[in-house]
Amino acid sequence: MDRGRKGYDTIMNMQSELVKNRRKNAAALVLLSAAVIVLAFVCLFVGSSHMTVAECFAALAKQGSAAQVRIIWNIRIPRVLAAIIAGAGLSVAGLIMQTDLNNPMASPSTLGVSNAAVFGANLSIIAFAGGFLDTGNHLSSYTVGANPYATSLMAFLFSTLSILLILGLCRLRAFQPGVVVLAGIAIGSVWTAATTILQFYATDVGLSAAVIWTFGDLGRATYRTDLIMAAAVAVGLVFFSLMSWRFNALLSGDAAAKSMGVAVDRLRFLSMLLASVITAVCVSFLGIIGFVGIICPHVTKKLLGQDHRVSIPASALSGSILLLLADTLSRSIGNGSALPVGAITSLLGAPFFLAIIFGRKGEHD
Amino acid sequence: MLEIKNLSFRYASRSPLVLDGVDLTLKDGEIGILLGKNGSGKTTLFKTILGIRKPDGGSIRFDGEDLLKMSRRERARRIAYVPQSIHFGALSVFDTVLMGRVSYFGYKAGREDEAAVEAILRDMRLEELAARNVEELSGGERQKIAIARALAQEPRLLVFDEPTGNLDIANEQLILSEARRVAAEKGIGILTSLHDLNQALDLGGRFFFMKEGKIRFAGGPEIVNESVIREIYDAEVRVLDIEGKKIVINRNGGQKT
Repeated sequence: MDRGRKGYDTIMNMQSELVKNRRKNAAALVLLSAAVIVLAFVCLFVGSSHMTVAECFAALAKQGSAAQVRIIWNIRIPRVLAAIIAGAGLSVAGLIMQTDLNNPMASPSTLGVSNAAVFGANLSIIAFAGGFLDTGNHLSSYTVGANPYATSLMAFLFSTLSILLILGLCRLRAFQPGVVVLAGIAIGSVWTAATTILQFYATDVGLSAAVIWTFGDLGRATYRTDLIMAAAVAVGLVFFSLMSWRFNALLSGDAAAKSMGVAVDRLRFLSMLLASVITAVCVSFLGIIGFVGIICPHVTKKLLGQDHRVSIPASALSGSILLLLADTLSRSIGNGSALPVGAITSLLGAPFFLAIIFGRKGEHD
Repeated sequence: MLEIKNLSFRYASRSPLVLDGVDLTLKDGEIGILLGKNGSGKTTLFKTILGIRKPDGGSIRFDGEDLLKMSRRERARRIAYVPQSIHFGALSVFDTVLMGRVSYFGYKAGREDEAAVEAILRDMRLEELAARNVEELSGGERQKIAIARALAQEPRLLVFDEPTGNLDIANEQLILSEARRVAAEKGIGILTSLHDLNQALDLGGRFFFMKEGKIRFAGGPEIVNESVIREIYDAEVRVLDIEGKKIVINRNGGQKT
């Protein structure tokens, strides 16, 4: 009787502990979501036109001067949405790459996506002066271009080429994580070399336009680019979330995951393809935004564990938070012109990241 | 239950055969122990059974069905694996064991999956660890969690790769008695590789001695003798019979491990 009672107690205990764990995770996700919403508003209120909070609210309700309404609705909202979408996308892409490749150093650009995008954009800007057919070399072409999407399109085309090249090569042999990483490094360096050669022949104006493109700027976002990024990120988030248990199984190694019924090679191929496409879309529209995909997933995993049911949404939210913070900061200290947001994400994220890795006891203690 | 015939495997087209005409059968609830030197083909044999490697020839049947044509999920519901080096990722013990049911639930674990995991944890007296981070547990505890996860697959056959390799003697005994219990109580077949001949004799069951990709000797404990061990391991030992129990010791007096 006593033993039965004790057994019953331990089971109730086990359930209450598990419920406590789940509540903690749910609370963390709610907190992160709230932070995204609050920061989105803060980000909306900060800018070079120095509008007051009341003016911003009025403009948000489309009551205010026409200029203020335009600033909020045509400039700041697309920018805030871009920060939320691209932050989430890059962060989750990084998390999935790290799980897929069993490598903490893996990033959204492991398949050479960013290097290829830079080459594509450079080709568009330097060789075609921002538009496909315009070969003239005058400043107006660099700012307006024959087609506003030409540079993004070229960046995207070359990133996709890079992804397909590496995944195709790896498909030929068994999908070994080490091989994928090395192939990414090799192909990435080819794009970098090609970019260097291209830049060597560029004019001063072309070169500076090409370099500025790589800086990463959320100001390039429009509702249309936001929609395209949102579509890619949403497809990725849904797919990754559905595969949460399979990713969890992958943490136990390929052999164990296969023995539990997970089609490891297929999962790895599809998820790396999706993560890379998300990265390619974001980078093509916004330029290079580094480190979000490394810092955010690591911080989330350290604080909330590696269960992908939690780490996927938590990484997405923390990515949005970091990019919102970085963008707000880049516009407040830039004195009228925003500093490159990619640099701010690293400046902001790296100390926090270091504090997390050195501040907590790791598994290698 | 498990019927392997004339199985062969090589890693590359011109490399030597790692499995060379392996025949092996195992009945429900039977314990099969694979013995042999490192590189004799034990782990490769496991990998072909688990579908991790595709054999070059021969057949593997499970209850009369062709295992090589089964989908990964169908196979996972019949055969589970406890790997040699165990790492899980920072998950709770409960979720780690629940993961074993992924071939049943697919995308989202249901109430019945959680109930199955609760029953297994209770059965193995692991319920107090349920909410703990599995990465923080000791080697022996993790090995038990790996067994619990394998049992969550509700398999008919459990494959162990060197289950006692990294454990102290107390945990060794614990894991082997767990294997024995699972075979006896649940009628689950066990296929395991072991290095320690005395452990193998202690566990009992059918012995399969492998050398150079072939099964050279198969049978009960009675086949374990000095000449078989010399042939398989190139080692000189003495096999003693103490109170009806066989013990293998080194020729020079120390115990052979």
